[in-house]
Amino acid sequence: MTHYILKRFLLMFPTLFGVAVLIFLLLRVVPGDIVEVRFMAQGQYSSEAVMAIERAKLGLDKPLWQQFTTWMWGLLHLDFGVSMWTGAPITEELKLRFELSLQLAIMATVVATLLAIPLGILAAVKQDTWIDYAVRVFSIAGLAMPSFWLGILMILAMLIIFKWLPPMVFTSFWVNPWENLAQLIWPALAVGYRYSAVATRMMRSAMLEVLREDYIRTARAKGLWLKLILSRHALKNAMLPVITVIGLEFAFLMGGLVVTEQVFSLNGLGMLFVEAISHRDYTLTQALVLIVASVFIFVNFATDIAYAWLDPRIRYR
Amino acid sequence: MAVTKETLESIARAGKPRARWLQATYDFARQRPLGAIGAMMILVMVLVALTANWLAPYDALTTDYGAMLSAPNAQHWLGTDTFGRDVYSRMVFGSRTALIVGLGASFIGATFGALIGVASAYFGGRIDMIVQRIMDVLISFPLIILALAVVAILGTGLQNVIFAIAIPMIPRCARVVRSSALAVREMPYVDAARAAGFTDARIVLRHMLPNVMAPYLIMLTAFLGQAILLEASLSFLGLGVQEPVAAWGLMLRGAAIEFAETAPWMGFFPGLAISLAVFGFNLFGDSLRDALDPRLRTQ
Repeated sequence: MTHYILKRFLLMFPTLFGVAVLIFLLLRVVPGDIVEVRFMAQGQYSSEAVMAIERAKLGLDKPLWQQFTTWMWGLLHLDFGVSMWTGAPITEELKLRFELSLQLAIMATVVATLLAIPLGILAAVKQDTWIDYAVRVFSIAGLAMPSFWLGILMILAMLIIFKWLPPMVFTSFWVNPWENLAQLIWPALAVGYRYSAVATRMMRSAMLEVLREDYIRTARAKGLWLKLILSRHALKNAMLPVITVIGLEFAFLMGGLVVTEQVFSLNGLGMLFVEAISHRDYTLTQALVLIVASVFIFVNFATDIAYAWLDPRIRYR
Repeated sequence: MAVTKETLESIARAGKPRARWLQATYDFARQRPLGAIGAMMILVMVLVALTANWLAPYDALTTDYGAMLSAPNAQHWLGTDTFGRDVYSRMVFGSRTALIVGLGASFIGATFGALIGVASAYFGGRIDMIVQRIMDVLISFPLIILALAVVAILGTGLQNVIFAIAIPMIPRCARVVRSSALAVREMPYVDAARAAGFTDARIVLRHMLPNVMAPYLIMLTAFLGQAILLEASLSFLGLGVQEPVAAWGLMLRGAAIEFAETAPWMGFFPGLAISLAVFGFNLFGDSLRDALDPRLRTQ
């Protein structure tokens, strides 16, 4: 077991390194760089010489391997560097957005879990009845509706029915919890509903599989209540894949809400990513991608370990 | 086991092999009504896309500044947008964009993914290890982030959007197909093919690939809905298909949000079209997965 954990742990680093190399190279393949973008934004014409000076200031004139090692060296000291566009330290840029994105991700995950687990169990127990079909239609519909459309509909409904709009400016939960929740609950519902679909499906199929196991038949045969069988025998064993799915989705929620943030005008990591990439802000984009990928890889690692630890049958040697 | 009606039916069926696919379709529809509904929705969408020229009363691009932002009426069934373009006609033509991108991207993504997955499983050892690590790296990017990065490199437009959506799908399919291919590799017929001296390429393409058709089809149909949704998202962000092409995501962008309160028809109907299309594909894909994955079979 220790050997397995160690091996899986060490495997994370080559993957992360690969992510770093890939995003570093991808960004430099994108046509145009930050200096061009900035001069274009100001509508100025500038000579190659001026641009070259600007590039030198940002260290873009150095050979690629040197730029890469500088970045890596900084990372080893937990230093993300400064944003090429604003000149502010990247940790400063991330601070507020990270809080918003993390909170939204947590809230959406809670919504998704609260929907998925009961619905999934219900659908499995009532397999192939109209209840099962209704649950499946409900969750597939969640996957089908684009979050930006659902968002627009929600905002419109609130405007028309309640003559009220959620606040547009982010307030920290610790400063004013009501103001904060009034803003974030809507995107959390829209996103949570969408992400509950995959978990509901997973819950349903895991439950179906478990319900066919011998020990469930035994429990039934000895006359145990269905409720007790479900909660004590079946649920525990069906939860593993569901936890994995929820965990992995959480990781994606941290950085993948580009469109939802746009609709609800939230200033989170997704928006920052779009801005950074359109500014050709190499350092900021690299940092963002690396953070999102690390969260994902770490969650992946953690769920794998949890798997091996919880289910002795699949404990790897 | 008693001779039931079903067994007799299946014996009778075995006698007429020509009607097999018809029977299979019928069985699928009877056992999985949700999947049949999904298939019907897909069929309708394909028909709409094929007959768009006849179905749409107006051209998708014709502007009419005399009828800007008009509400649904007898001339414009679903209203017009800020340029006076007919929303219904643009929606009808938009189905073409959605289908082209959806089919193109998921076909490219699933096919390349399957090839990589099978080859990786077949060769095994160090090659498998390296390929899987590369796939790990690619999977670590959220779908939309990788698609955005690809668009930033290739630029916007229909063709590039197809690639931008297909590329993030490749590693996802490769991983699933590889795990099936690992079992196929151990089959005696693969050993036999190797013993007969067939080339690696031939064994991978002719002997292994056809036997991982189930996961391939499952991934392909699962990608279809996602691809349509992703195209809509990219277009919505202004990074997908570009104006004036008729595309659903594009119709929801900009003015549709600005005027959401006064002219809700601009955004409502295209969004509904996206939802219904993706819903149909997902419904069908889900049932297909249930039918093809023996572990989930009811009977």
